[in-house]
Amino acid sequence: MTEAPPDPLPPAADLVAEFVAEARDLIEAASEDLLALDDGAGPGALNRVFRAFHTLKGSVALFDWPAMLVLLHAAEDGLSAARAGTLAAGASGLVDLSLAALDATARWTEAIAATGTLPTGAEAESARLVARYRDLLAPAGGAAPAGPDPAGPAPDWAEGLLAGLAERPGGVLTALRYVPRPDCFFSGDDPLGLVRRLPGLVALRLDPAAPWPPVATLDVFACNLAVTLLTTDPRAEVEAVFRLVRDQVSVASLAVQAEGTQDVEEAEPASGPEAPRSLRVDAARIDALVALADDLAAARAALGEAVARAASGDDPAACLAALRASDERIGRLSAELHREAVALRLQPLARVFRRFPRALRDVARQLGKEVTLTLAGEATEIDRDVAEGLFEPLLHLLRNAVDHGIEPPALRVASGKPAAGRIVLSAESRGERIVVAIADDGRGLDPAFIRRRAAERGLGTPAALAALDEAGTIDLIFAPGFSTAAAVGAVSGRGVGMDAVRAALARLGGTCTVESRTGQGTTVRLALPRAQSLARLLLVGIGPELYGLPMAAVAELARVPRGRIRDLAPGAATVLRGRTVPVLHLADLLDLPRGASPPEARLAVLQAGGETVAVEVDRFAGRLDGLVRPLPGLAAAPGLAGTVLAGDGRVVLVLDAETLVGDGEERA
Amino acid sequence: MSVRRDGDLIRLEGACPVEEAETLAALLLARPKAAVEWSGCTVLHTAVVQVLLRLRPRLQGSCGDPFAARWLAPVLAAEDPP
Repeated sequence: MTEAPPDPLPPAADLVAEFVAEARDLIEAASEDLLALDDGAGPGALNRVFRAFHTLKGSVALFDWPAMLVLLHAAEDGLSAARAGTLAAGASGLVDLSLAALDATARWTEAIAATGTLPTGAEAESARLVARYRDLLAPAGGAAPAGPDPAGPAPDWAEGLLAGLAERPGGVLTALRYVPRPDCFFSGDDPLGLVRRLPGLVALRLDPAAPWPPVATLDVFACNLAVTLLTTDPRAEVEAVFRLVRDQVSVASLAVQAEGTQDVEEAEPASGPEAPRSLRVDAARIDALVALADDLAAARAALGEAVARAASGDDPAACLAALRASDERIGRLSAELHREAVALRLQPLARVFRRFPRALRDVARQLGKEVTLTLAGEATEIDRDVAEGLFEPLLHLLRNAVDHGIEPPALRVASGKPAAGRIVLSAESRGERIVVAIADDGRGLDPAFIRRRAAERGLGTPAALAALDEAGTIDLIFAPGFSTAAAVGAVSGRGVGMDAVRAALARLGGTCTVESRTGQGTTVRLALPRAQSLARLLLVGIGPELYGLPMAAVAELARVPRGRIRDLAPGAATVLRGRTVPVLHLADLLDLPRGASPPEARLAVLQAGGETVAVEVDRFAGRLDGLVRPLPGLAAAPGLAGTVLAGDGRVVLVLDAETLVGDGEERA
Repeated sequence: MSVRRDGDLIRLEGACPVEEAETLAALLLARPKAAVEWSGCTVLHTAVVQVLLRLRPRLQGSCGDPFAARWLAPVLAAEDPP
């Protein structure tokens, strides 16, 4: 009736080695800060200690060392209370206790380095320390809890269930409330499948999470359940079972017979403060950077000399040559410096990839499928931020592949395939892009189904949909509204939340394409920037403002007498090199007021996605090489690619040529 | 092997994965009086359970999935539909 929890998968040796190296650094830094805190150091030290524990906890969570995880969690709670001011940072015991916790963590880390596992006795030690943290956090006057798993009165949501218990097992119960996301079925979740894995279940309730919609609009694939349960399983084990849905559960420990003596300790949703950003860097790379910085200083000295000569009234022509040489040299050095600095941020994709075998195994088990995951190209290096941002969308795609791509074993055997499905997660470098592919050998996408669904969702007229070729049809799964609204039946057609995947990739500067052959499988390819790169920009002016256009999209610059621009309501057009080209004013595209129209229009001719559009601007303002930084939360302003710092220190908005051209085509 | 109509009964047999929620809902909506026979069912996906919880058909036999028989049957048989 209950499944044994999955056996821990032995973690990859190099992943452990990486963890050990990182943990040693963090432990050392945190010890110093804790000691400083004891000497009365300020909130800075406290924040650093907190972050060290938080990062350690995050790293430990990738492995199967529950005793260590629970302790780090408790320590984090204690430090977090000190940061929030509910516990004095110098409070008797917090520093001592945290040092003890750190000491245990250090010993366990060394044991892990030697044997790959926690030493015996770690569990008992962890429980003791966790109990001390709980004592520390118990409100003044409250009785100190005894035992490793102290408990409080039932939270509101568990009260009814507790009252209904026919016989109350003594001791501590763990209460859990789990409200799965409405779209959880599409990511392969089986919420009750998780509940099955609690051997000590003593009570279970299922309620609608929100009032049921009328039967007529029943959406069987939208989960509207709230699960409440009580179990004798220890809290740490319950948390381990629900770790993949941490953000959707609340957990509390309850003392069943106790008279409600202390606070309920409720698990916070898994959103912690941002982990500190640190990089581990090869010493040779630092040496190269220092050498470049020296060269740059020398070049700057040469420039200073040239400027001094010009100031003292030297022949301007002679100075000009020296200035040009300096400019050229500094330009070359700064490009090199940039390249080196960017390389510091690269990390192998292995760090992301290695997290998947375990997650996938759990998903496959839940779904009763057999899947083997093969990793390839893990050594491929990519920008750290991109690597980190890649985890969520990849997990989503892998779950989709298991859930909707790979057929059940019996069906696979019947169609002549091996019972175990095969998923290959690979990465390869192609110029400045990295291509990550997820290929499964499952049932593939069904174009006829996609067309039908798209028609139902009003994503195109039947004629337009019928005219799409297979690739165009498959691309429909990325259309917003295809997957989210297409709840019923989309399970068999895959494509769930694909618009979200594509949006996540766009934020990383990447793109996403799908290829599929019915009965043979589906391959999703993600093309991502390898590193942040310098972009060449054309600066254009509208009124007093400057904007950057990516030079790669600028086909030519033209000055055209106004008379040659014909007004064709609702747009305008002109003929350039024998071709009619739509003309748009950048001010209109940006919703800015238009200035007076000069007799000669300045047009930047943009090409993107095979389309050409001429964009009129007030003036051309030169060129700029810069690092384009994406702006967060720019969803409200599509058409902006990011910002770049101009030479005079002002921030210039960079426009996204593809959106401009797309808009242009639409308006023209 | 999962959801099929058998005269006035709807039979759940073997594993009932997420996809079967749709089939089950369609059968129940077409015949609101039909009872669901689930003794041959070995495992139920949450989505299928949700359909039973929403549409509240009469359940016949004891579920072949021990977890469902122990924990879900009482929830699904409760007097006051939530």
